[in-house]
Amino acid sequence: MHIPDGVLPTAVCLGGYATAGAATWFSLRKISQKENPREGIPKASLLTAAFLVASWIHIPVPPASVHLVLNGLLGVVLGYYAFPAILIGLFFQAVMFQHGGLTTLGVNATVMGVPALLAYYLFRLRNIFGKDNRVGTGLFAFLAGAGGIGLAAVTVFVLLVTTIPAHMDVEAERASIYALTLAHIPVMIIEGVFTAVLALFLQRVKPELLEGDS
Amino acid sequence: MIIILFTLGLPAAVFGHGVEIDYQTTKAIEITATYDTGDPVSEGQVIIYAPDNPSTPWATGKCDEKGRFTFTPDPSKPGTWDVQVRKAGHGGMIHIPVGGDEVAAGGTGYTTPQIALMTASVIWGFIGTALFFSRRKG
Repeated sequence: MHIPDGVLPTAVCLGGYATAGAATWFSLRKISQKENPREGIPKASLLTAAFLVASWIHIPVPPASVHLVLNGLLGVVLGYYAFPAILIGLFFQAVMFQHGGLTTLGVNATVMGVPALLAYYLFRLRNIFGKDNRVGTGLFAFLAGAGGIGLAAVTVFVLLVTTIPAHMDVEAERASIYALTLAHIPVMIIEGVFTAVLALFLQRVKPELLEGDS
Repeated sequence: MIIILFTLGLPAAVFGHGVEIDYQTTKAIEITATYDTGDPVSEGQVIIYAPDNPSTPWATGKCDEKGRFTFTPDPSKPGTWDVQVRKAGHGGMIHIPVGGDEVAAGGTGYTTPQIALMTASVIWGFIGTALFFSRRKG
């Protein structure tokens, strides 16, 4: 999921920084319009730590091994704070753990952060069923959690498949990209269920923590 | 007709003479590529860049099932050789000095205790940030 340095062409890396810059601007603008923008920072900070740790949780899906991303979950719980949180989390992963890369930071932030924002919008649709409807909350939290990582996996797939350099064994690389993308289907289900369980728990004990209420 | 015969004859040039074989020992470099889970990058594609041309691959190849690949750098090109291993868009690059400041072995990863310490310090940073912004005013 985290694309490292030296894999994508320069133009794609620059494009990634442009989209990540636009998404950061949009998110910060929405945050600054809140009554108390500082209020959401503790929650965002703790979930950034969770995002960082999630990438160490590996799930073996033979023949591949994939890890949790939790971008959909961040979207559901953090709302507009999700994009900056993911950007900061990715920066630490790239600088300290060589997971991802600095040249691809913009691309990775776009690939994981924009689906997180879309997951937030999707989760807000639960209000159709009424705020206190547990079925609506569970269903849309599942869809947001699974959709967040699903959309990210599809975007990474498109980026990688369309930029395989000619000096590589293109067929072999394409086959391994297909395998890696398909391996994310079980992760979608896991993250969807995890997001639904967390959303239902928060709705019961501290409903104001769910950004979808606004 | 003569030209055609001559052309056909070229690829199968065989000489009716004795054969001499010389040998010399050279220094080869073995790389081992593993994911951060410890699993090998089996059959990962290897792209080697010589120091004099960092944009065009000097050679390409493929790791074995255990993520290993061996190559012999051209000794007439001293400097830093860049070797990239990638599979399914994931991978990394290692910079290997050849000639001059050579080192016997090197790597790009961290040990588990290093990773644990770094993770703990980063997480403490996030918790500290959360505590700072959630403190009561006044």
